[in-house]
Amino acid sequence: MSAVIDPAILEEAAGWLVRFQSETLSAADRAAFDRWLARSAAHGAAWQRVEDMLRGFGQVPPAIGRDTLRRLDRPGRRQAIRALGALLVLGPAAWAGWRTLPWREWAADVRTATGEQRHLELADGTRLVLNTASAVDILYTPEQRVLWLRAGEILLTTGRDPSPVHRPFIVRTSQGTIRALGTRFMVRDESASIRVAVFDGSVEIQPRDAGAAAVVVPAGQQTVFNAHEVEPLATAEAASASWEQGMLAVRNWRLADLVDELARYRRGVLRCDPAVAGLRVSGAFPLADTDGSLRLLEKTLPVRISRVTPFWVTVAPRAAVTN
Amino acid sequence: MPPSDLLPADTVTKLYRDHHGWLSIWLRKKLGNSFDAADLAHDTFVRLMSGRRKDGVGAEPRALLTHIAKGLVVDHWRRRALEDAYLAAVAHLPAPEVPSPEMRALILETLHVIDATLRTLPAKTREIFLLSQFDGMAYADIAQTQRVSLATVKRHMQKALTACLIAYQVHAA
Repeated sequence: MSAVIDPAILEEAAGWLVRFQSETLSAADRAAFDRWLARSAAHGAAWQRVEDMLRGFGQVPPAIGRDTLRRLDRPGRRQAIRALGALLVLGPAAWAGWRTLPWREWAADVRTATGEQRHLELADGTRLVLNTASAVDILYTPEQRVLWLRAGEILLTTGRDPSPVHRPFIVRTSQGTIRALGTRFMVRDESASIRVAVFDGSVEIQPRDAGAAAVVVPAGQQTVFNAHEVEPLATAEAASASWEQGMLAVRNWRLADLVDELARYRRGVLRCDPAVAGLRVSGAFPLADTDGSLRLLEKTLPVRISRVTPFWVTVAPRAAVTN
Repeated sequence: MPPSDLLPADTVTKLYRDHHGWLSIWLRKKLGNSFDAADLAHDTFVRLMSGRRKDGVGAEPRALLTHIAKGLVVDHWRRRALEDAYLAAVAHLPAPEVPSPEMRALILETLHVIDATLRTLPAKTREIFLLSQFDGMAYADIAQTQRVSLATVKRHMQKALTACLIAYQVHAA
């Protein structure tokens, strides 16, 4: 049950969405948007509803959505049907509606907002888990099963394909492709590189550049690759998929790395003061409640959490606070 | 919602006792089967209980119940039509591309909200909304193909998206 939001605020939220969809906003506009968002809990809730709605729209495969609405033949809908007819003539225009949005994860078929995780079962029984702020396009054809990782991190457990013809299972990334060989593995987009950890079976990595050698990663191993090469394999930490259970389990991490990781699960800025960046941390931190995780740090380390605003938080030495 | 706006429990009990019987029969005639009729009769009373009724149910509860039930019957048929259209739309897809039952429910729910919302909007607004959200056309391209200004496209989108957001609210509540 969600709270009732003042329609006037929903109208303002729609106004911002129209702007995001129709133009590239300047830094000043973005700042104005952040101020609008922070104006009250209702404003935040209104924008959350925008994101929920877009996620709902995004779950409808465009061809199915279009076809279904077109088939709802009845008086009063003729105008819309004519418009849809025109669309069919225009041809299979790319599903690019979301490309006008400033965040590329909105261009995807399935996506998660910051702090959100989603578990999905795909048509072939493959289980897909999306971590925070992630986006995946799913494209199954009679020849192959392709997941395009647009942003963020996914955990895959491939299923037994019901198709009579063998269809390879491929994850495409900005840096190259990963071919699954019956498996459970994790892929994470780190912008300039892609991290892959394999828990069961094995995968084959093919960097994007022609001429780069393909590398097979067996179970229990992980690596990082870019368009040109695959780094030497290392042991995969079993705990590296702990986010699937909503916890971040770390052993002997630098505080700065932990803070960076927690920052992925929350909106706004979360930074670590260089004076405490090198402190060592072990433990399990709840991802759905990063404020709670920060309080945990405050209890166990000589640090304090300084909040300029809820969107600007610094982990600082306990004695002196700088920002 | 202040509790005073809701019907008192004994009023609802009495209404249920007095009117559930004929309402079920009326619905069965409309729908042609008693399963759906029983569901919608139930939904009618749920709607009655959860709605704001500052002035009670009035002197003629039958009129109010029939009014609510009619709305639910229309909604029921629309959902049915939507499901049929959906099944026809996916019928020609290869099995792996047909959404799972779980996805199907989510898709139908979303399309239902969109369909119900679009019905309340002028044809032009519906058209522009569909072009933008379902064919993925950029606002500028819509303006060009529809021979209207970009500002007009934005105005229609603002209207349609606001209506959708409000519909999502009603839907989620």
